[in-house]
Amino acid sequence: MAGYEGLFNTLGLRDWCDAGATGGPASMADLLAKASGGAAADKGFSLPSLDGLHAACGAVPRTRDMTAGLENMFLSVKDPIKSVLGPITQPLSWGLQGALDLVAAVPGWVLILALLVLVQFATRRTGMTVFTGVVFVILAFVDHLEPALQTLSIILVCTCICVLLGVPIGILMSRSDRLQRIMIPILDMLQTLPTFVYLIPLIFLFSVTEPKLYGIAIILYAIVPAIRLTNLGIRLVDFDVKEAADAFGMTAWQKLIRVEFPLALPNIMAGINQTIMMSLSMVVIASLVSAPGLGTLVLRGINKLELGVGLVAGFAIVLLAIVLDRVSKAALERINKTHTT
Amino acid sequence: MSPVLSLLTAAVLSISFAGAAKAACGKVIITEMNWASAAIVTSISKFLMEQGYGCDVQVLNTSVAPAITSIAEKGEPDIVTELWINSAPKYEELEAAGTVVTLGNVLTDGGIGGYWIPDYLAAEHPELTTMEGILANPDLVGGRFHSCPDGWGCRIVADNLQKAWDFEGRGLEVFNHGSGETLAASIESAYTNNEPWFGYYWSPTPTIAKFPMVKVDMGEYVEAIHTCNRSADCANPGKSGYPNDRVLTGSTSAFVEREPQIAELMRNVSFPNQAMNDLLKWQNANNATADETAVHFLTEYPDVWAGWLNAEAKDRLASLLK
Repeated sequence: MAGYEGLFNTLGLRDWCDAGATGGPASMADLLAKASGGAAADKGFSLPSLDGLHAACGAVPRTRDMTAGLENMFLSVKDPIKSVLGPITQPLSWGLQGALDLVAAVPGWVLILALLVLVQFATRRTGMTVFTGVVFVILAFVDHLEPALQTLSIILVCTCICVLLGVPIGILMSRSDRLQRIMIPILDMLQTLPTFVYLIPLIFLFSVTEPKLYGIAIILYAIVPAIRLTNLGIRLVDFDVKEAADAFGMTAWQKLIRVEFPLALPNIMAGINQTIMMSLSMVVIASLVSAPGLGTLVLRGINKLELGVGLVAGFAIVLLAIVLDRVSKAALERINKTHTT
Repeated sequence: MSPVLSLLTAAVLSISFAGAAKAACGKVIITEMNWASAAIVTSISKFLMEQGYGCDVQVLNTSVAPAITSIAEKGEPDIVTELWINSAPKYEELEAAGTVVTLGNVLTDGGIGGYWIPDYLAAEHPELTTMEGILANPDLVGGRFHSCPDGWGCRIVADNLQKAWDFEGRGLEVFNHGSGETLAASIESAYTNNEPWFGYYWSPTPTIAKFPMVKVDMGEYVEAIHTCNRSADCANPGKSGYPNDRVLTGSTSAFVEREPQIAELMRNVSFPNQAMNDLLKWQNANNATADETAVHFLTEYPDVWAGWLNAEAKDRLASLLK
């Protein structure tokens, strides 16, 4: 209580307070006081809180009224947001569903062969291809091939979209200091906000049975390094080089494509590698909103305390992480080399 | 006797009496499962144990599997309440071994699991209240069956039942939810948009209390078939309804020996499903916490819980029982 009644009385707000009084459910403290036969204990001075003020003045909303208000506000704007976001994000659902259907329809060994060809083509290192092959044979050996391929296909789709969106945003950011000032706090928030928090509004916005629900969650989290490092890479391009490009009479577009982009490529590639790794780390959380794959097995291990299931699926994720990291780094190094030499 | 002496004797007596009362009940560790009705049960039990019996109650936030594992490994917590036996097969082993003692069914009617549709859908298409009706008109329920998350006890049964009923062949796509939250959210969003919904759920839950659902008639419960359906390797999944699950309060046998009074109290703490659903509905309508819902129950239904207490505890809580 802490005497906030007095404050409202002195301000002459008593009538207003009592007019808006909503009462609200009795708390455990009230009941304990009643059981011991006395009034609720005065805890002395306490900082004003909504609940504390509500006890003194019924018109002040409680904390839960405030959160309920926030919720209602969100629900009232949900439909317009939905009608805009729904169609925009629909390709994501198609992409993810298509990739998952592909994994379900094509036999595992065909997919692995295709993957090995891709790895060989991207890295041009036989050692890397053999290593990838060994990892997938191990995954198949412990019967974790299908979830691993599902996880991989989700990661690949999400990473592609992250690159398609993130690199242009990074370039725009490097062009405008104002945009950079706006974007950096947003990027910080995306990385630090507990991932569950943005899953909650997403559940309300989209049907929980659509793949885009987890797709958006993964992308929001994993896109950050792609944006940051693109911006940084382009900003780090030597001023003298840009001056030289100007001297040659290059247009802004030519300068971007022929000078800045190649010079920034090592940084951009590092960002993409980070994006891949971060989408992998989101996979377990995404399985809470029905993403299939290895994450589901980890979750099952946690839910039922099946130590073995959790550990094997966890190690499968580690194996996948090693492959993704090594292969993407090798592929990116190769691209960097061909561009710089 | 001089006044000083009588005062002294009174003081000594009262100290020794207080000591005896303290000794009557020591430390109790009780679980609070991570869902709404369990939190209410725990909050009510805590109040009665503390105020009625003078226990020092510690609440442990947990869920079924960790609680059972902890009892098996460490003999703690002392009391597990709202334990859904279908998701804790290990409990039956512990019970057989004598490590745990079942005190009673906290939900007297048991947990009602099964397949449900929203009440507006049942009103519009009464034929959908049987499995035959649904399988004949899969598009009326949206062509989709909302199944349990992986790792839930009901998932294995649901996987077997969908083979037995041939969901895929009849054009019902099975959607496996990732967590209980998205399963509940799918009901909420179907309800707010007046869309069809068909899937697994159970009662009493806040979701069913808030969004009235109609249970689909899945045919008779056949124990032999259901037992097979409960195993992931069931060779011949068959059609059977769900039995009512036992939802019980369990305790370690060591605790029952140590605190027989509390064990007796917890034996009595039980709710008919309707009462629990009403409490959940009240909680929802008032935007209340579990503690406040417990207070609501303790103030509104003193005649119910008075019957749970022994004479001494009744005396202590007399001010609330008027």
